[in-house]
Amino acid sequence: MKGILGRQDFVGGVAVIAVAAFAWWLARGLPGGGASAMGPGTLPKGLAVLLGVLGALLALSSLFDAGLPLRRWSPRAPLLVLGALVVFGLAVRPLGLVVAGPLAIAVGAFASSEVRWKETIVFGVLMTAFCIGLFKFALGLPIPLAPWLLGY
Amino acid sequence: MDLLANLGVGFATALTPMNLFLAFTGCFVGTLVGVLPGVGPIATIAMLMPLTLKVDPTGALIMLAGIYYGAQYGGSTTAILLNIPGEVTAVVTAIDGHEMARKGEAGAALGIAALGSFFAGSVATLVIAALGAPLTKLALLFGPAEYFGLMVFGLGLAIVLARGSVLKAVIMVVLGLLLSTVGTDLETGQDRLTLGIGELSDGVDFAVLAMGVFGIAEILRNLENPEARNVAIAQIGRLLPTREQLRRSFGPILRATGIGSILGILPGNGAVLGPFASYAVEKKLAQDPSRFGRGAIEGVAGPEAANNAGAQTSFIPLLTLGIPPNAVMALMVGAMTIHGLIPGPQVMTKHPTLFWGMIASMWIGNLLLLIINLPLIGLWVRLLRVPYRLMFTTILLFCAIGIYSINNNPYDVYFTAFFGLAGYLFIKLGLEPAPMLLGFVLGKLMEEKLRQALALSEGSFMTFVERPVAATLLALAAAVMVIAVLPAVNRSRQKAFQE
Repeated sequence: MKGILGRQDFVGGVAVIAVAAFAWWLARGLPGGGASAMGPGTLPKGLAVLLGVLGALLALSSLFDAGLPLRRWSPRAPLLVLGALVVFGLAVRPLGLVVAGPLAIAVGAFASSEVRWKETIVFGVLMTAFCIGLFKFALGLPIPLAPWLLGY
Repeated sequence: MDLLANLGVGFATALTPMNLFLAFTGCFVGTLVGVLPGVGPIATIAMLMPLTLKVDPTGALIMLAGIYYGAQYGGSTTAILLNIPGEVTAVVTAIDGHEMARKGEAGAALGIAALGSFFAGSVATLVIAALGAPLTKLALLFGPAEYFGLMVFGLGLAIVLARGSVLKAVIMVVLGLLLSTVGTDLETGQDRLTLGIGELSDGVDFAVLAMGVFGIAEILRNLENPEARNVAIAQIGRLLPTREQLRRSFGPILRATGIGSILGILPGNGAVLGPFASYAVEKKLAQDPSRFGRGAIEGVAGPEAANNAGAQTSFIPLLTLGIPPNAVMALMVGAMTIHGLIPGPQVMTKHPTLFWGMIASMWIGNLLLLIINLPLIGLWVRLLRVPYRLMFTTILLFCAIGIYSINNNPYDVYFTAFFGLAGYLFIKLGLEPAPMLLGFVLGKLMEEKLRQALALSEGSFMTFVERPVAATLLALAAAVMVIAVLPAVNRSRQKAFQE
């Protein structure tokens, strides 16, 4: 991408401003207060304003100094790796580690372009078994194994 | 001598079979995970924190400290063998270390790294033991204004020491401070910036944040740049350096131990500067500076010693003042809080066995690293041959289980995914996450101290000027910031980090 939208610092600056604005909006209802009795809102609002100004500086600086171009990115790896975590989080309580483990590995594995079906399944099962042995039995952590089958 | 008596207590604690076993496990597992490319000490500790949940606080801290040293050592191993520095501090080691490996002297490089680290670690342990008591006394004299000043100074240093532009580092610090305000207000108990999510009223968990922006984001970065890893290492060679190599390394190790120990005490992650400073000094002092960059053993011995010394002395601000100087120490705070301990000057007086036991275990940990790592280097190399597609899924599963187990809460796993995405965007936008973590860590404490100081002075900011220690610290903070933005210094700073 060429032009100003392809500049790392411009996009970064705008993103920082957006975060600052969001934080300020979230903090809008919190009472402020003077220096002797700072309220809960004083710091969040103050920091949000400061962050917004800094973001604007970053965006402005990109107008004069092009800096680095925005790097290419593809949605595949983030989607699947983060998806694997979310799937694990969703599955661990109702279905237990027995299901959540292989599932997370299976979803995550597709983030790599060299994924192999059979290997992933075998590896996911073995790795989960290892983790159950380590975390559940050796360390005694209260992580659910298979509530629907074993009751814990 | 008090010092000897205290160290005696410490060794008696650290040498119990259980604690010895924990130190060993920590060092071993830490190295194991640290060797994996892209998993630095921060992600390693966050991932392995659940391993320590079931032991007593002393044992837990001993094991975490072991994981920390192990992970650092593992990072140097990959730096030397594969030219993949596990973290910033190993960057310098990679320069000459990898050159040595290409000349077939990998063994000697690994050997001198271990020996240098052991020596530096031993000295640094003594430094901590000697400085612990007096600094704790000093800390008790600190009021809120002084604490606030010290933390501002720490953040100032963190900004100067960050890679890349100063403006971006300031942005990241402020972002971290802002994140730290999420959660219940200290005084009124009001929810702040929580989006109405109940799980956020305790604030963002540090382990979750660190795991996301370091652990998960690093996996995403590696997946996008499948670098051709040159795992076919020809020969490790003999591990023991020759007498000539030892002679050359002796001076650098001594100097680096001093440099690293001093820099490590500074708040704001001064320890990262150690290896760079040591390398620069040795290059200046060398009779033939052109050897540097072509496999000079001094360029491995010095930085590695400085790294370890700094890693060790960075425990000082945490143990005496309760202020974590870097992200790793912040995780230690997290671990201490899980076990019901509040870091700070009172740790030494209230829990002397924990304090001195941990210090003694640092020395034992260094010795263990020397003993277990030199024979195990073959194993680490084989581990590196595991394809990345198996490695990252394993890391992912461990992260998920580890993060879930800290609070037994699936929300923590979702938040980790969210911060992983944030970390990925930071990489794309060239924003360095380290200053943000420090801002986040110090944020809560800073707000508390600021509000206390202003309440004491009845709202007058003059309290920061009238109190000499606070004023000096704030002036120092301002000075380092001004120096950092001076064009001339800024250029040479950029250059120093590029080398």
